[in-house]
Amino acid sequence: MISVKNLKKSFGDNEVLKDISLDVSPQEVVVVIGPSGSGKSTFIRCLNMLETIDSGHVIIDGKDLTDKKTNINEVRTDVGMVFQHFNLFPHKTILENITLAPINVRGVKKAEAEEKARVLLAKVGLAEKASAYPDSLSGGQKQRVAIARALAMEPKVMLFDEPTSALDPEMVGEVLEVMKQLAKDGMTMIVVTHEMGFAREVGDRVIFMDNGYVVEQNEPKALFDAPQHERTKAFLSKVL
Amino acid sequence: MDFRFDIITDYMPFFLQGLKVTLGVSLAGVLAGLVLGLFIALGKMSTNRWVRLPFNIYINIFRGTPLLVQLLIIHFGIVPLFMSPSNPVISLVIGLSLNAAAYIAEIFRAGIQSIDKGQMEAARSLGMTRVQAMKLVILPQAFKRVIPPLGNEFIVLLKESSLGSVLAAPELMYWGRAAAGQYIRVWEPYLTVALIYLVLTLSLTYLMNYVERRLSTDDKR
Ligand SMILES: Nc1ncnc2c1ncn2[C@@H]1O[C@H](COP(=O)(O)OP(=O)(O)OP(=O)(O)O)[C@@H](O)[C@H]1O
Ligand SMILES: [Mg+2]
Repeated sequence: MISVKNLKKSFGDNEVLKDISLDVSPQEVVVVIGPSGSGKSTFIRCLNMLETIDSGHVIIDGKDLTDKKTNINEVRTDVGMVFQHFNLFPHKTILENITLAPINVRGVKKAEAEEKARVLLAKVGLAEKASAYPDSLSGGQKQRVAIARALAMEPKVMLFDEPTSALDPEMVGEVLEVMKQLAKDGMTMIVVTHEMGFAREVGDRVIFMDNGYVVEQNEPKALFDAPQHERTKAFLSKVL
Repeated sequence: MDFRFDIITDYMPFFLQGLKVTLGVSLAGVLAGLVLGLFIALGKMSTNRWVRLPFNIYINIFRGTPLLVQLLIIHFGIVPLFMSPSNPVISLVIGLSLNAAAYIAEIFRAGIQSIDKGQMEAARSLGMTRVQAMKLVILPQAFKRVIPPLGNEFIVLLKESSLGSVLAAPELMYWGRAAAGQYIRVWEPYLTVALIYLVLTLSLTYLMNYVERRLSTDDKR
């Protein structure tokens, strides 16, 4: 589904991603962990070209993003993204937030898009908020809307960049619950998170990144219980 | 000192006629300036530096030289190339529009860039093109933020339209100067004209405040 080959990325002189390769199969849930500044966000943002790629290849569902002939907007409709700070559109209602892209990008009819949006809203437990504005929602509710908004494009892959880091602790659970359900439904997911419980329970594979490299990857249980590398051990001892 | 109200009453029809021209010229200048200004703002934010260059030059020239100089060049240098004799009202509208466009472009640019960049990223990540993201997500939010500075710009433009009198465009100030010349009096014509400008700008200020209040209560839906 996703194939990353020798991906490199610098900001000026600062080489943030130093040769990353990774394959993700359909329906797999990959959790990315690592210390602050290790390049997790940059990596996940390269997967839908929110960051330009310096060298290497990112192939999503057979399409190479670095190929000039690839229509990046088309690829992005297949790759949903959920941000740490939600980034809902404050001038639109919840329903409009969800239908905006299907109507304008996919060309779905308004009535059809709205019907689908209501189904998604019900799925994330916010059916009654359809006509509310984002400002009136709690952080956890906003993030659930953001997930519904991404799902409305019927993506083949979902990317999450620390989806619960900006939330008050009591709201983390409701968002993780939605993500858990999504994984159960068979969505291919890449999740950057500090929620080790989620990684252990939902992840098929955990990637430990440090300093621009994938240092170690394994099944959650193996990686958490028996890390092989010193840096992984040092990191885990701090967060577990 | 004697204050000759008869001068004011004699000239009132001309002042009212001038007022109409002032309002018409200002409104035309604002509308053309808005359209042109938005275009220049978007051009100046292009990712290509060669595309940005001419827009930068435009803004620097029109903000960096006096409006009076611009008006004189336009009226006596440029408009005559296209029509003769050149019409001072048309020259005034062109000058005000081009000048306001430079300021309005900067207002729009600041407004657009004040929108959190996560908004653009969210829109793009949903597959929208840059143009779609601008139109559907960024500009509607930016418009609310540019209302107050745009209001200020409108007031400035209304006052600066008085420079049209130098071109003999028959706007409010032109008739003020005519009355002053005819009666060799200072206070009556200029005070009257000043008072009319003041009423106009205060009404505009009041209107802008009203619009701002409406928009900010809309936000708290
Ligand atoms: N737009 C940018 N311009 C310049 N440098 C950047 C930019 N974005 C990220 N960086 C740098 O790249 C490095 C990796 O950043 P990144 O955000 O990918 O780390 P991260 O692993 O997501 O960290 P965190 O856990 O804090 O989110 C950091 O040193 C950061 O300062
Ligand atoms: Mg990050």
